[in-house]
Order: sequence, then C-alpha cells, then structure tokens
Amino acid sequence: MTIDIIRRLFVCIIVCLLQVLVFDRIWLFDVATPLMVVYFIIALPRGYPRWGALLWSFFLGLAVDMFRNTPGVTAASLTIIGMVQPYLIELFLPRDAEPDIKSSARSLGVWHFLCLAAILVIIFCLVFFALETFTFAAWLYALECAGASALLTLALIMAFETVRK
Amino acid sequence: MQNLIAFFTKNFHWLLFLFLELVCVVLLFRYNSYQGSVWVSSANAVVGKVYEWQSSVGQFFSLEERARQLTDENIALQQQLSHVRQELLDLKGDSALADSMMQDVIGELHLLPAKVVSNSLRRPDNLLTIDRGRADGVLPDMGVVSGTGLVGVVYMAGEHYSVVMPLLNVHSRVSCAIRNHGYFGYMSWDGSSAIDAFMEDVPRHAQFDTGEWVETSGYSDIFPPGITIGQITAIGNSADGLSYRLRVKLNTDFSTLREVSIITDDTFPERLQLLKAARDSMAVAN
Repeated sequence: MTIDIIRRLFVCIIVCLLQVLVFDRIWLFDVATPLMVVYFIIALPRGYPRWGALLWSFFLGLAVDMFRNTPGVTAASLTIIGMVQPYLIELFLPRDAEPDIKSSARSLGVWHFLCLAAILVIIFCLVFFALETFTFAAWLYALECAGASALLTLALIMAFETVRK
Repeated sequence: MQNLIAFFTKNFHWLLFLFLELVCVVLLFRYNSYQGSVWVSSANAVVGKVYEWQSSVGQFFSLEERARQLTDENIALQQQLSHVRQELLDLKGDSALADSMMQDVIGELHLLPAKVVSNSLRRPDNLLTIDRGRADGVLPDMGVVSGTGLVGVVYMAGEHYSVVMPLLNVHSRVSCAIRNHGYFGYMSWDGSSAIDAFMEDVPRHAQFDTGEWVETSGYSDIFPPGITIGQITAIGNSADGLSYRLRVKLNTDFSTLREVSIITDDTFPERLQLLKAARDSMAVAN
C-alpha cells in the first residue's frame, strides 16, 4: 500500500510538471491545448478506493492550479472525474474482469478504453473551460476550446497507451 | 444512530466529493476577489522555484538574441538621452543645471530589476510571475516596466516571488495619455490579440493621428508620467459613441519578455496605507 502511494505520488509529480512545463505551452490553432492531467485519473485501476481517487484528483488539480494561477479550476474539474471514473469503468469491463483490473487499452480492449477515456476527457474539458471562462462572456469560444482540447488530449492518451506496459 | 453511521460510512466518498468541490468553489471565488491567496498561486516558493529553473534553461538558449535586443535598446536609449540633453541645454543654457535636473528626475525612480519566470499570453486573465517578492521590498500595486515600456502592476506578492497583472489581462486598467497632446484615457485589453490593446475614453474633441505614441499619464501613484505604452494604429468609436477608442500596438513584446523592473519607492507603503485609510473612511461614511 505504502509503495503504491509513493509510486503514485512520483507519477503524480511527473504528470503535474509535464502538464505545466510542457503541455501548457502547446496551443494549437488558438483553441487546442492538451490537458493530460486527466490521464492520471483515467488510469486508476478498478476497485481503487473512491476516497483515494477523489483525494488524488483534488490535490493533483490544485498543484496544477498553483502553477497556472487559476485556483480551483483544474481541482474542481478533476475532482468530478475522480468521482465519475469508478462508476464509468464498470460499464466498459470485459467478461470475467478481475476486481483490480488496470484501466488501460491492453486490459480493457482498445475500443472500450477509447470510449471510457473519451467520455471522461469530454466531461473534464467541458467543465474545465466552462470554469476558466466563468467571468468571460465567450461561451462559443469556450466550447470550441473544449472540443478541440478534448480531441487533442484523447489522441495523446491513445498514443501513450500504445507504449504503456 | 447506527443507521446514520452506516449511511455516512457507505456514502463517505459522496460527502468527501461535496466537501472537495466546496473547497474548489471557495478558491474560485477567492481568486476573483482582488489579492487572493498567495499560497495557491505561482507567488509561492516551490512553484516559483520550478518556474525559475525552467526559465533559466529557456534563457540560456536565447542569450544571443537577448544580447542583440539589449544592444538595440541601449543604442535607442543613448540616442534619446542625447536628444533630451540637447533640448534641456537649449532651454536652460547651462550644462551643469541640465545634468542636475536629469539626475533629479532619474533619482526619484527606484527601479528593482527582476526576471520573468513564468508568463502566459492566451488566457483572458494572463498573469506573469517574477523572481522578486516582499523580501526585496515588492508590494502589491507597484508598477512594472521593461526596457521597451510598460508591463503591468504587481497583483500579489509572496516572500520571494510576485504575480504581476500585465496589460494583457482583461481586468487591467492603466491611466494613459497621448504623447505631446496630453489627452488622457485608460488602457484596457479585450482578450484577443497579444500585440494590441485599446486606449478608451479619449475625448471627442481630441486632435491626434495614427502613428502617435501613447504613454503613461502620471495620474496615478503607480507609474510616473512618460513611460511608453505603444503606438496608435487605428481610431474607432466607443460603444456609446461618446468618446474615441484607439487601437494601440504595444511596444512591449510580451511573448519574449524576460527582464523587467519594478518601480519601488520608499514612500510607497505609507501612501498605500493612507489610500487604504481613505477608502475605509469613505466606506464607513457610505
């Protein structure tokens, strides 16, 4: 358990740094930015304690927010994903799935994993951009950003899945 | 009672979820109020340090370009200086007096050099982080300038890092004037282009042309008059049609901004306290 937490903490820090130092610099066609922090929550295995998933998502979101100077925006949207992921993964399990099956393209099947990731990424991007443009009256632009960013994030997640063990 | 405990145990994750979302909402609203928490921003020490490392890597690779820019700025400043010196000399006819007058003007400004460690351009609420904080005498509401002109105003100050609200922020308002004409207004940004901002509230009777320069007006405690902001590129009308709205091409390139200076002043804390006291007394009176 302790080793798992330390390992996850290490991955969490790497994901956070990659997001703020690398992915946040990518801004394609003035609308699309990869929001790869959501990948950390999507990849949580089945049967992971729900309170654990919530705490991971909240603190990872908060850490990213500190760097982006947007307190609450990433944390709120990622916590929603942390809440939804354990329920949603149940819908995409193969037959006779183990209770602690990994959430990956290899164990769930590419199509099932793609559907799971797509739903979670779309929810995350919609909430994220809605909150980010909260005081800014450009809803159509926010919707464009959410759609384009979801597409880019999903493409990158699937690319990472091909090299993940 | 046991049922109640069983209910809470069973639905603990829902309660935790609601609690965490509540914390997020509080953070969101705190951020919207002026001067939110320094701890959940890039003004905190850990985040500032990480950005500083990243920035130093970036700076290393752009040293040659920076050296060229600084040389260009130096030459332009030297030309301006000799021009001003000549004008002063023509007016006063005494070189020693002219020199001492210039020293007086420069002496009033205390500039604290700082490095930009993080910068964003694409959000409506762009902020940048600099590597100076309260320990160096930086306080919120101090002005920030660069070699090419105005940058913004200190928004939050941590112990060693500060967050600056640049001109490229939809909430930014800086009092400005058209150079050599004196017509004043305020600079604002609409969240679109990172190279243009708008000068609002310019009176209808004002006489000026495109290509003229916009500078700080000095009608605030934050900036002294005469700091370059940009050049007028288009003249339009305000939404209510009562004043002009000018498109201004910013002289500062925010995408390559590395070195800035904070305008500090020994009397700043005293003035800030006085202003706060005046506001408080007005609030009580209302």
